[in-house]
Amino acid sequence: MESVLALGGLVLLRDSVEWEGRSLLKALVKKSALCGEQVHILGCEVSEDEFREGFDSGINGRLIYHDLFRDPLSWSRTGEALPGGPLGALQAMCRRTDPGPFTIALDSLSWLLLHLPCTAVCQALCALSHQHSRPGGSCPAEPVRVLGLLHEELHGPGPLGALSSLAQTEVTLSGALGQASAHILSRRPRQRPAHQTQWFSILPDFSLDLQGGPPLESQPHPDPHTPPVDPTARVTFNLHLSKKEKEAKDSLTLPFQFSSEKQQALLRPRPGQATSHIFYEPDAYDDLDQEDPDDDLDV
Amino acid sequence: MAAVATCGTGAGSTRSIVATTSKNNVTSFQRKGPRASGTDSGCSRLVSIAGTRPSVRNGQLLVSTGLPALDQLLGGGLAVGTVLLIEEDKYNIYSSLLFKYFLAEGIINGHTLLVASAKEDPADILQELPAPLLDDNYKKDLDEDICNHQTPDSNIKMKIAWRYQLLPKMESGPVSSSRFGHYYDASKRMPRELIETSKWHGFFFPEKLSSTLNKEPCSLTHGYRRLLQFIQKVIYEEGFDGSNPQKKQKNILRIGIQNLGSPLWGDDICCTENCDNSHSLTKFLYVLRGLLRTSLSACIITMPTHLIQNRAIIARITNLSDTVVGLESFIGSERETNPLYKDYHGLIHIRQIPRLNNLIYDVSDVKDLAFKLKRKLFTIEIHTQKKFNLCIEEEKNVDYNTS
Repeated sequence: MESVLALGGLVLLRDSVEWEGRSLLKALVKKSALCGEQVHILGCEVSEDEFREGFDSGINGRLIYHDLFRDPLSWSRTGEALPGGPLGALQAMCRRTDPGPFTIALDSLSWLLLHLPCTAVCQALCALSHQHSRPGGSCPAEPVRVLGLLHEELHGPGPLGALSSLAQTEVTLSGALGQASAHILSRRPRQRPAHQTQWFSILPDFSLDLQGGPPLESQPHPDPHTPPVDPTARVTFNLHLSKKEKEAKDSLTLPFQFSSEKQQALLRPRPGQATSHIFYEPDAYDDLDQEDPDDDLDV
Repeated sequence: MAAVATCGTGAGSTRSIVATTSKNNVTSFQRKGPRASGTDSGCSRLVSIAGTRPSVRNGQLLVSTGLPALDQLLGGGLAVGTVLLIEEDKYNIYSSLLFKYFLAEGIINGHTLLVASAKEDPADILQELPAPLLDDNYKKDLDEDICNHQTPDSNIKMKIAWRYQLLPKMESGPVSSSRFGHYYDASKRMPRELIETSKWHGFFFPEKLSSTLNKEPCSLTHGYRRLLQFIQKVIYEEGFDGSNPQKKQKNILRIGIQNLGSPLWGDDICCTENCDNSHSLTKFLYVLRGLLRTSLSACIITMPTHLIQNRAIIARITNLSDTVVGLESFIGSERETNPLYKDYHGLIHIRQIPRLNNLIYDVSDVKDLAFKLKRKLFTIEIHTQKKFNLCIEEEKNVDYNTS
């Protein structure tokens, strides 16, 4: 699970109805806060009190919460709501220039996708993840990390595919028998993506407990993985030769090979053997005249 | 001839006319020698553009794509004025490598580059180009199994089809910089001096996005419009379309556009099936092709077609591009564990080859190609029929080492 936070960039947490991801999101937020990073939270789906519930005061003090839940459409006009709506809030986060490691938690990306055009969300996420390479000259060592919670069942394959192509790390939550597991797909640039499955559970104070896995008899693997397909199994001709067959094959002289025995046999007439005969019965239509082969043509 | 008549007024015989002719050296046949006259600097000298050669089939001017194996499959190279569309593989590893090979080839040949991307800064892309291989140390890294077609066991000399053994082996060595097509080492970076001496223009869309505030309604997506304007400006200002007559040597413009069609360009064909602006990308390709045809340029585009939801759009895009190559990597699919494909990293599909000034084109007989990224090199092979798999419906691949 350390690799999830170490890589930086966009981390997609894909959850579903059975295996919810907000607790994992909060656990990762807590971990980042404990590392001393600045954590910004864009809360859209649950209220601020509900999100902060379970964190102790130290961590709560480090979280900077942008609330879009109370007033998403800016109706109250009291100035409390975020200017520009959700897109404005995202773009404001892009423009931050505070040094130091930075984590942004989006709760949730699904809400943003439903309220904003997908292209705008993708562009904002890309700008957020690449914020560290903006003109400042040097590339800083600390990456910007964007944790986005995405409810898989709410979206079609289009937005899911588009966001997956942008993400550095994708964590898909599933599980078996009460044990949650995270399938982590990390894409380092220019390298093959790495898969990893990690069983975990979240303790009440939102710390992560990594585990080995559920007990063996509950593993839903019915039979061992079928052996790889052997393409030579069901072929109608013989691909493998036995040793004797190979020797016989090698010793066979091919018809065009002109060996010395053949040469001798052709050169030397065989006196003892009868010469070969050709037996020919002339047909009614056959022309026996050698000189004019076209005699029988009716021209 | 008029000059001869006036000179020879006094003489009536042909001999004196001939004499005066030879003396004045005036004939109607002028020998077109290699004079240094500036009258026609580039008339019969198309081949003199570095890094190009005429096609052996129809004389079309070709540039190398950076992978000699791919050049061979495309009929000698990529024609100048055409678009090479690469359909990206799922994790965009190999298509970005092909993209970089194309740009690296441009730098080695001294062509001007134009790199457009919505995801990465073009300067960063150029820093990651692979280094060229120019020495003979390469030869000992080559594999030795250049199999011929018929043998199941490669170490047995062929007895029946012995004529094939006499065929020359494919050229698989590095070439010097004056020739067409170079080999690159994917594990090393191109030296900075080479990049700095080259001429390149970069288009990074997020930078341009922030500078405009009012987006006037237009049928083309904003990003595409800006990109087209940028390309047109570069072609016009640098004289690739012959508008400012170049006194200096003619050169080729290599355009590389990365991830076209992804949501980062502002186009939502990857996000929904029924999108508002579904013709934006096709219009872009149409206008781009028009720009390319009237200039000395070649373009490579990588497109994440696996994300495009509407299959009709993919068909239109294929028709609007000239050469289309699809990459399909085995990562994450069940073919990764299939013993047939264990040596390879993916399949290459040549989906379309253009018919330029021709009625027919050069479709290669081999339809099933696989590629693999070895430690340093990207090779395209036709995978050996080591195991005859008549019963499995997978594609059969034949070995044909070309790298």
